[in-house]
Amino acid sequence: MINLEHIFKWHNTGNNRVFLLKDINLHFDQGEFVSIMGPSGSGKTTLLNIIGMLDDASEGKYDFQGQNIYQIKDKQRSALYKENIGFVFQAYHLIDELTVYENIETPLLYQNIKSAERQAIVADILDRFNIVGKKNLFPSQLSGGQQQLVGIARAIVAKPKLLLADEPTGNLNSKQGQEIMELFQQLNKEDGVTIIQVTHSEKNAEYGQRIIELLDGRIEKK
Amino acid sequence: MLKNFVKIAIRNLLRSKGFSLINILGLAVGMASAILILLWIQNEMSYDQFHEKKERIYEAWNKASFDGNLNCWNTTPKVLARTLERDFPEVEQSVRVDWNNDHLFSVAEKRITLKGNQVDSNFFQVFSFPLLKGQVNTVLNDRHNIVLTEKTARKIFGDEEPMGKIIKLDNADNFTVTGIIKDLPNNTRFNFEYLLPWSYLRFKGNDDNEWSNNSTRTYVLLKPGINVEGLQSKLKKLKQKYQPEEPKWEMFVYPIAKWRLYSSFKNGVEDGGRMVFVRLFGIIACFILLIACINFMNLSTARSEKRAKEVGIRKVVGAHKNSLILQFIGESILIAFIAAIIALIIVQLSLSGFNALTDKHLFVPYGNILFWLSGFGFIALTGIIAGSYPAFYLSSFQPVTVLKGTFKKAHALVTPRKILVVLQFTFAIILIICTIIVKQQINYAQSRETGYNKDNLIFHFLTGDLGKNYDLVKNDLLASNAVVSVTKTSAPLTQSWSDGWGQEWEGKDPNDKTDFRRYVADENLVKTIGLTLVKGRDFNLKEYNTDSTAMMINESSLKVFKFKEPLGQLIKDNGRQWHIVGVFKDFILESPYQPTKPMLVYGLKSNWFSVIQMKLNGKNKTAANLKTVETIFKKYNPEYPFEYKFVDEDYAKKFEDEQTTGKLSSIFGVLTIFISCLGLFGLATYMAENRVKEIGIRKVLGASVAHITALLSKDFFILILIAFVIASPISWWFMHNWLMGYPYRTDIEAWVFLLAAALSFLIAFISVSYQSIKAAVANPVKSLRTE
Repeated sequence: MINLEHIFKWHNTGNNRVFLLKDINLHFDQGEFVSIMGPSGSGKTTLLNIIGMLDDASEGKYDFQGQNIYQIKDKQRSALYKENIGFVFQAYHLIDELTVYENIETPLLYQNIKSAERQAIVADILDRFNIVGKKNLFPSQLSGGQQQLVGIARAIVAKPKLLLADEPTGNLNSKQGQEIMELFQQLNKEDGVTIIQVTHSEKNAEYGQRIIELLDGRIEKK
Repeated sequence: MLKNFVKIAIRNLLRSKGFSLINILGLAVGMASAILILLWIQNEMSYDQFHEKKERIYEAWNKASFDGNLNCWNTTPKVLARTLERDFPEVEQSVRVDWNNDHLFSVAEKRITLKGNQVDSNFFQVFSFPLLKGQVNTVLNDRHNIVLTEKTARKIFGDEEPMGKIIKLDNADNFTVTGIIKDLPNNTRFNFEYLLPWSYLRFKGNDDNEWSNNSTRTYVLLKPGINVEGLQSKLKKLKQKYQPEEPKWEMFVYPIAKWRLYSSFKNGVEDGGRMVFVRLFGIIACFILLIACINFMNLSTARSEKRAKEVGIRKVVGAHKNSLILQFIGESILIAFIAAIIALIIVQLSLSGFNALTDKHLFVPYGNILFWLSGFGFIALTGIIAGSYPAFYLSSFQPVTVLKGTFKKAHALVTPRKILVVLQFTFAIILIICTIIVKQQINYAQSRETGYNKDNLIFHFLTGDLGKNYDLVKNDLLASNAVVSVTKTSAPLTQSWSDGWGQEWEGKDPNDKTDFRRYVADENLVKTIGLTLVKGRDFNLKEYNTDSTAMMINESSLKVFKFKEPLGQLIKDNGRQWHIVGVFKDFILESPYQPTKPMLVYGLKSNWFSVIQMKLNGKNKTAANLKTVETIFKKYNPEYPFEYKFVDEDYAKKFEDEQTTGKLSSIFGVLTIFISCLGLFGLATYMAENRVKEIGIRKVLGASVAHITALLSKDFFILILIAFVIASPISWWFMHNWLMGYPYRTDIEAWVFLLAAALSFLIAFISVSYQSIKAAVANPVKSLRTE
């Protein structure tokens, strides 16, 4: 599904070139659940952003579903992104001015799904995540765990094939974290969503089928 | 999607109420000003555009040269109208409209003076003033017919049926009401309360066939499809045909579309006229709106960080840049819409004041579809202009940067916004300077010596029997002790009603064509109005019975005559000889902004009197004096109302135009400053927020509140300084050109600029200091903890 070849990422500061990623070669198959680990500053988030097309590599080749995304047109790429990728963040990143329901609905708006259909999809997700009673609350009225639940619901509402999670449990206590991880596992197994997560926690990393360790922008261990 | 956007927009507005208030209020005030100005412009542009035959209606004008100047004017001989109809097949009809005059109306016990015109009977066939009652073609056929406006009819007859009723005019002739027209719209040059037929004017012996007597206005209705250029070239030679002694005198016709805004000529060429004002106001309207939009941009971008996260998230969940641009522009259109509603309320509330100021009857045309369409266009345009910058700026955020939480408050962006603030303040400072200079010019002209004493001086037109009973009135007035001196004159002291050249005197240069102001007085003019005599004496009929052919001249005339000894010199005019008995210091008869002109005051023999001038007794109460005068007037002129005027009030009217200019520029100046301050306040808020960490660190390191306030305010002062440097030469240039139109004018002095600078610094300081001080006194522990 995803193929990264010789990916480099750097910043130029003055005359110095600071490398964030060095020669990354990775392959992910459809249906995998992969954890990326590594200390702070090792390039985990950068890698995740590149995979999630939020950021471009400075050098290298990135194939997504067989398409070289640095060579296709912007429009195709954003279509590819919209249909296939969902993001979950450590800080949840919900829109404060929108209710739970409206937050979850937002991705569907950008995919031009009709109103009735949207309602059905969102109702479905709310039901599945057990947050029907909270659908009219604003993010500030929810606990961290609940907010992250909404974040995940929003990430998968448009049925993406790939779910990218950047330390999804970083702001949660261990019990909430565990629930989120179990949800990920369920999504992976039952819905076949490919999941790539960045995490600090050994325990959470174990939920993945494979762990990639990064250090100073290099792959330390696959 | 739209619902989602509207929801988020409204929630955002409600979340930060202060910010929304500033933003919407600023925009609303800007819009309200623009709407008022646009209403005014629309009214000016629509003058006399409602006539159905407007494409074919023209006015006859003259063009001839005097004193080396090519002059154009629109009074014509009375004989012209019929001549045009007879000699030119292009002309379908021609209508004369005589001066707007007061006449006394008597119906039963009612006495009112009303203003009206005497017109040719085909008036209604040319101009579209709809007749509610009466026949267009015959309504003014008889010389004792009269047409009233609805309002006039109501004034005279109340709810009674006016048609066929008899009105006595000037206590002399009876008129039958034969037509009622709709009240005149507020955008026509005509200003009559009734119309009388031209045949009445002829009946009174006021018609003539003199080609040399330019005394009425002549309008022309051309046949359809006429080549106007061809007609113009034929008209050039019309005057010579009937008056061969004026070889260089041309006539032309001037189209209705240009009457209101262009009828101004300099040396025979159009020189702008009112259109200059209309354009200037248009520019001001655009600028105020632009400033309000700039404000909006400034405040919206200042708040961009608060929206940055939302932008990032929307992009992550699949929003395309375009849809974000659409969202933010949509939001600003929504705000513009709310602002427009408030603006309409402001307009409605301030319209009566604005009308009083501009002497108009403007109204918001709520029933007009075009108004609503252009209104929505206006809102959309404002929203797009105001929202485009924040929209493009916000939508360009990179989600990675924004969501990482290390979103650097882009310092690069401060620069364009600083430019916007400079632009705003430049405009504000220009308006401040202009306001001060306009006020100065008015004060300067007001403080000019008038040359006579206006205190306790009143005048009354010689209405009804006053002329006949003048001597009796005068005796009673003087005997009553309410009045110390009485003089009858040809015109009020504030207007020149007659001027002319061709007088003869000893040693006159045969080429001299000096135009003298003509004025007539019986006696005691110097005493009554308080002139300063330089030589000789006042007219005095009791002691010198030859004074009926005496003349007094002003110093400017003396310069023209070049007499060594003026007293006793003879001046020939109109077939009569006048001997000079006195020379007085020039007084201001016309514009206080113009140099005084040579002026001749003729004695009683001239026999042309319209006004009685009275000097009230300063020892009595004015009200008591007026009461006494009224009783005497009522006694000798019972049919006419007592309508005196104070000369000083009449004189004050000479400043009205400039005062209006001054008031308008100060109002728009204040508005601009208000809006600009809102913008500055917003920017200060942004800057203070931006530097919270810096301020915290500085405080921890020991900086005082004063130090930090100064640090934060400094940047803004530099901006104001730049604005001042740009604004000064621009306003100097504007005001210099404006003042050039006034021969008698004030100088532009440096202190005006310094005052404007000080004022803008003070205003800026007030709007900035709140935020600066707030930031400076904040506890650093708080600001540093958030990092």
